[in-house]
Amino acid sequence: MADDSAASPAPRAVASDARRGVPIIPILELALLAICAVLPFVLQDYLIVFATRVLILALLGLSFDLVWGYAGILSFGQALFFGTAGYVVALLARDLGITSIYIVLPASLLVGLVVSLALGGFLLLGRHPPTTIFVALGTLTGSYAADRLARGWYYLGGQNGIPSIPLMTAGGYEFVEGPAYYYLAFATLLLVYLLCRFLVRSQFGLALAGMREQEARVAFFGYKVQRLKAIVFSLAGAIAGLAGGLYTFHEGFVWPNMLGVVLSTQIVLYALFGGVGTLIGAVIGVIAIETVSFWLADNYQQVWPIILGLLLLLVILFRPGGLIGLLVSERERVGRFGRPPGTPSRATKGSGHGAP
Amino acid sequence: MDKGMGDRGATTMMDRRQLLRSAAWMSGAIATGVGSWLIRPKWASAAGPIKVGIATDLTGAIGYAGNANANVAKMVVKDINNAGGILGRPLELFIEDTASNESIAVANVRKLIQRDKVDVVLGGITSSMRNAIKDVIVTRGKTLYIYPQLYEGRECTPYIFCTGPTPAQQCDEFIPWLMKNGGKRFALPSANYVWPHVLNEYARKIIEKGGGEVIFEEYYPLDQVEYSATVNKIMSNNVDVVFNTVIPPGVGPFFKQLSEAGFGKRGGRLACVYYDENTLNINAPYEIEGLASCLDYFRAMTKDDPVSAKIQAEYDKEFPGKILFAAGSAATGMYRGLKLWEVAVKEAGKLDRNAVAAALDHAKIADGPGGPAEIVPGKRHCKMKMYTAVAKNGNYEIVARSEGLVDPKEC
Amino acid sequence: MESALNAIFEVLSFGAIIVLVVLGLGIIASMMGIFNFAHGEFVLLGAYITYLVYHLGLPVWAGMLAAPIGVAACGFVLERLVIRRFYAAPIVAMLGTYAMGLAIREGVRVLIGGLYISIPEPIVGSLVIGGVHLAKWRLAIIVITILVMVGSYLLLTRTSFGLRVRAALENPALARASGISTSAMYAVTFTFGAALAGLAGALVVPVFSLFADLGIRFLIQGFLAVMLGGIGTFEGPVAGGAVIGVMSAALPWAVAPVLADVLVFVIAIAFVKFRPGDLIAGRRV
Repeated sequence: MADDSAASPAPRAVASDARRGVPIIPILELALLAICAVLPFVLQDYLIVFATRVLILALLGLSFDLVWGYAGILSFGQALFFGTAGYVVALLARDLGITSIYIVLPASLLVGLVVSLALGGFLLLGRHPPTTIFVALGTLTGSYAADRLARGWYYLGGQNGIPSIPLMTAGGYEFVEGPAYYYLAFATLLLVYLLCRFLVRSQFGLALAGMREQEARVAFFGYKVQRLKAIVFSLAGAIAGLAGGLYTFHEGFVWPNMLGVVLSTQIVLYALFGGVGTLIGAVIGVIAIETVSFWLADNYQQVWPIILGLLLLLVILFRPGGLIGLLVSERERVGRFGRPPGTPSRATKGSGHGAP
Repeated sequence: MDKGMGDRGATTMMDRRQLLRSAAWMSGAIATGVGSWLIRPKWASAAGPIKVGIATDLTGAIGYAGNANANVAKMVVKDINNAGGILGRPLELFIEDTASNESIAVANVRKLIQRDKVDVVLGGITSSMRNAIKDVIVTRGKTLYIYPQLYEGRECTPYIFCTGPTPAQQCDEFIPWLMKNGGKRFALPSANYVWPHVLNEYARKIIEKGGGEVIFEEYYPLDQVEYSATVNKIMSNNVDVVFNTVIPPGVGPFFKQLSEAGFGKRGGRLACVYYDENTLNINAPYEIEGLASCLDYFRAMTKDDPVSAKIQAEYDKEFPGKILFAAGSAATGMYRGLKLWEVAVKEAGKLDRNAVAAALDHAKIADGPGGPAEIVPGKRHCKMKMYTAVAKNGNYEIVARSEGLVDPKEC
Repeated sequence: MESALNAIFEVLSFGAIIVLVVLGLGIIASMMGIFNFAHGEFVLLGAYITYLVYHLGLPVWAGMLAAPIGVAACGFVLERLVIRRFYAAPIVAMLGTYAMGLAIREGVRVLIGGLYISIPEPIVGSLVIGGVHLAKWRLAIIVITILVMVGSYLLLTRTSFGLRVRAALENPALARASGISTSAMYAVTFTFGAALAGLAGALVVPVFSLFADLGIRFLIQGFLAVMLGGIGTFEGPVAGGAVIGVMSAALPWAVAPVLADVLVFVIAIAFVKFRPGDLIAGRRV
């Protein structure tokens, strides 16, 4: 009866599911879009700078959500790609004087892609399919090892990192921190978000969703599960790299912590808190936590991380769906691939976005 | 409660001091708020207050020095305000925590510049911190920056003034003293960041000029705590002088392991140019017996310099506890920096950055900790008197003084 | 010759610490399939409790006795509150331990004011044998570790309780089917693992000083060791821990310290990835 046109990207209501109401996720997405678009007009300058940083971190969060929420890879190493791309573009700026956005951003994308391809290939491909914990540990180790390496290598600045990076340019124009950079970050985030959204709602995304829910079964269908994972991992790595390039030029310096375990696990935290598996959840998580910690910074900066840890614990215990889980039904969160549970069988009319 | 500044021998007292320190810090924090502190002057003027920004490590590995910094700033600003302020306006103090973490530091310093719109920023302790925040302050923020800590030199960026000792000031007279009172075979164990790298370059020059020899020069990650390989190299190569630039947290274990291996007992000399009264407590006295340092001020000076005695007494009265007024913790540089800046603003008559910088370029003070100080015109570095001291039973004794003001030889 | 002996001694003492940490982690992982992301923080807690007791005025060794007990209690609470809900979903349990670890680490950071605190060792000084200086406390660490290892081994192999634990270790499902209360087993092993970590932290704090990020390094080394050694046995994690500890301590003698750090991890991961069998027979992770 209800027609779920397979081509439409936005979920529509199906009458027979009592819990189905208005789809929340697109509303959230549009609301966030609108707010972010007008933010620079209402905020003071240093807050715009802060907001830019948050948007760039949201990009990083997005990359984690892609791997964990959609491919089931628990990657504790997203910062590795973030930081490596950051260091590479910093070196480009310092040693070769290249600050043009047309080179720098594609370079950071490429670096992220290459590194994650290498690491992902190493961890995921091979004779025995790896366990989740092995991949988690492998990425954690990669991040930690890169951190130690950068800390020890004087050419990269050692503990200091590389300071005083010049501003990013486009022709003669310099991207100063403030509204200009904000909109750059915003545009990038929007673009990447739409790309990811398209991806996860495509055929490929369907395979990913299946892999996330029941990996063995999907493998039996003939999908090369490890290869799919490697592809997603590389894509996410590229996104993380892009975020790294943006971040480097925004902050004006890179240092080993950008590669390390602390940042990696922080991103995991943000995404988990916001709710994985929905893309927008990761963005919301980053925004929520960064904003609250900034707001609390003047008074409870020391205690806040403890509260964060405990909050996360509560979320895991009671609402594994994260913040998004509070607003959005489980059904909508997991994804509408297939019939809602409890509906009478409609043999031919398939709902959802494309049958396999 | 206060055990007295002279009581530093017994290590069993360390626990209560740590408690005191964290309790004092905590209560201070609760009273005024953690993270960023704002200290308003007690009186107002029509033109509004002059805003001074301090960005220093209140927490983290360098916390012991950052807190000393912040205390000195509070003390000096209070004194200036009590004396009528500058140009008839009181000073308002904004303190941000750089947390020994460059990323947090940049965000917090931005607050000082963009939200609080301070007229000058003093702070940063490690060189990596300085490098991280200087752009935000000087280039993007177009504000004056005074860096108060001993460092490696070569900071010649306009609008950045350095009021701490440079390698020339710390090595030119110190290393010859070490060669006379230690030996000619030097080892240079170092932390892996810019300050040790550049300092060692300069030190090596002076060592080799004096006929000494550098047996090895090695760099370790900051959080390395296992130094057995290094200690072994020192012992088996008969090194006479260990010119150390390993910093906390590694320095404690390193000195401990070195002493356990018998370095001091066989006549080896330990030298560490940032080691002041604050860091003396990291190790037990017997582990660092005979350690030599060269700084612009030592507490022992209060015996014969009335100006230093007065400053020290005032600090001790206002800030009893574990955070000491010491030269390796940027405290003396902070004092100097603020006083020199005060002189410069008075001369310039206004707060415009260029005017103050021009006045600061040749500013002089007669009453500073350790003696007078003056900025070398055109160089933005500070001439000061230097002293060599040796640790005996947990306290410093001064063994050599510079003839007059030592030239920083920078830029 | 002397430097070789010195080297061996240092390597042994460092290896001993890692083994202590890893044993607890390995037992938990083997038994429950859960990798305890808070294990590094248990080590930190052990160090912190030692410090607390010490600056209440009591001697350091009293703190070192209190630490395993205190951490065991925390471990027990964590297990009952958080982990027991997720026996069937080990990944979620791991995330839960991660959150807990974060809370603990930041809590300790606040409590020590974000500073680095040094604590004296209970036995000061060193033995001089020939030309070799052996720090007494490091020697003590090795001895204590050996005693604990032997004690644990005896407990596992000579008691009926140990028999049940080993059964649950090797084949949890069958053990359950045989009537062994796995829930009680899990609580006991988690607590025991936590106690071991707490002991390691207490023993190591005079050497490393107390700071909030103490645990992270141990966590990563612990994980690598468990992967290396395989789970499901007692000897596996111990062997893995010994290898990691020895590598970490020995490599800086041969290569530049910065490289040594990275090499340990790279070698370990590569070995786990490409190994033909296991280091010691046991289940692959």
